[in-house]
Amino acid sequence: MDDQLVAALAKAAGLEKALADYPEDVKAAAAQAMNTAAAIQYPTDPTAEPWPPMRPGLGR
Amino acid sequence: MIAAHWLSAAEASRAFAARTLSPVELWTALLARIEGLQPKLHAFIRLDADAAISAARTAEHEITAGRSRGPLHGIPIGLKDIIDVAGLPTTCHSKILLDNVAKADAAVTSKLRAAGAVITGKLATHEFAIGGPSFDLPFPPARNPWNPQHHPGGSSSGSGAGVAAGLFPVALGSDTGGSVRNPASACGIVGLKPTYGLVSRRGVFPLSYTLDHVGPLARTVEDCALLLDAIVGHDPADPGSTPTHARDFTHDLHRGVRDLRIGFIRHFHETDMPAHPEMTAALEDAARVLQSEGAEVRTMHLPTLNEFAGVNRVILTSEAWSIHAPWLRERPGDYGQLARRRLMPGAFIPAGDYVGAQRRRAQMIAAVEDAFRDVDVLLCASSMDPASRIYDAAETARTYSRQARTPFNVTGHPALAMMAGLSRDGLPLSVQFVGRYFQDATVLRVAAAYERATDWRKRHPPIG
Repeated sequence: MDDQLVAALAKAAGLEKALADYPEDVKAAAAQAMNTAAAIQYPTDPTAEPWPPMRPGLGR
Repeated sequence: MIAAHWLSAAEASRAFAARTLSPVELWTALLARIEGLQPKLHAFIRLDADAAISAARTAEHEITAGRSRGPLHGIPIGLKDIIDVAGLPTTCHSKILLDNVAKADAAVTSKLRAAGAVITGKLATHEFAIGGPSFDLPFPPARNPWNPQHHPGGSSSGSGAGVAAGLFPVALGSDTGGSVRNPASACGIVGLKPTYGLVSRRGVFPLSYTLDHVGPLARTVEDCALLLDAIVGHDPADPGSTPTHARDFTHDLHRGVRDLRIGFIRHFHETDMPAHPEMTAALEDAARVLQSEGAEVRTMHLPTLNEFAGVNRVILTSEAWSIHAPWLRERPGDYGQLARRRLMPGAFIPAGDYVGAQRRRAQMIAAVEDAFRDVDVLLCASSMDPASRIYDAAETARTYSRQARTPFNVTGHPALAMMAGLSRDGLPLSVQFVGRYFQDATVLRVAAAYERATDWRKRHPPIG
């Protein structure tokens, strides 16, 4: 992920202060996000539902 | 005669009943040990000695009057500093929450008080149970009693270090990606991540709602079971809590493993993340020990560790971002660098990836459930390496993710890590046992059989 894209995404997430004061940490976080997501074989079956399933209830 | 600080909770309780030791005598001995070792180990963030002596006196009075509340009555316990104790700060080892005084006890704290346990104070953790070991926080990181130059594991670092060093016989920690089992592995003790939903998380600062567990650490399997007995129970105030009849976790400890079928997940440590040779040897030896005790051991396969870790990280960082985003936006400088780096990735993960990870999670749960059609318990690595040197950030970063604990946070199965040897450098090696949902008692049964067949529980750190 290039620096400009990281900066744009960080600003969109409200991380302007972190970007200004800790730019290397923001870049490292973005890189980690890319690496972890890439490790997953996402289901191709559209009916494969997530865990935990929605259950009717009262909420809080 | 065993020194008071090496007594297990069960042994101390029996000594209380026999009037050969009193809760006040035990706490007095432990307090002296804490005062001597705390400067070296930093297990405590906050020692609550006044409350502890008061609780010990009350326990002594009640036990002497014949009103014992059970095996934890008068037993000192430490709590990871993400668990609320009314009137004490829950700092999460962070500048962010230095003044966060808990208004009420966590559910587990209430249960421990009801059992008569003596709450000794709040223990060191990685910042918010994720950022450590760190030297840029308001409190120093805990150290490993086997060698204080080494990391005690985390994030329940003070819990592991304190139990292993004989500062208290039992402790509570939390486990989102392995944080009870990592310090248990690094410090040569026993740590159990119970089945998801078995123990209430009310009053425990969250890291990741669908991955967080609270669990016991102890020097013996029996103590782990006793502590689990005290803290289980359905809690409608915890949305993840499950009504269950799972109780009496000491009942099966002496049944042995004859006729149990154990699935050995070798690919975790052989090919997914090749383990340190001494760890590999310890795991093979653990399998041989259980075979010699009468279990049938067979090799089994699950999805790869790399993928389990990816699913865990996407879910964990997404859920953690939803908790920490306001502080990360306004007060990024009040986090240590490691927590900042480990909590911000959630800002960069698309919602679709989070949902995708939860969908893959359902398939991974199915894969582990399939395995349990053929076996009763799984055996696998916990850590792939002995504990890293605490000042060697590169080694810690390299070894920290080399572990096989996250799969069972993803699936929610009960998983226990315990000592399985000592490296040539004198650092603990470890093994992990995993069971079916709500069959935590079977996991403890296998662990107890392994404990009896080896002498690792008799080894203590060379710390006095």
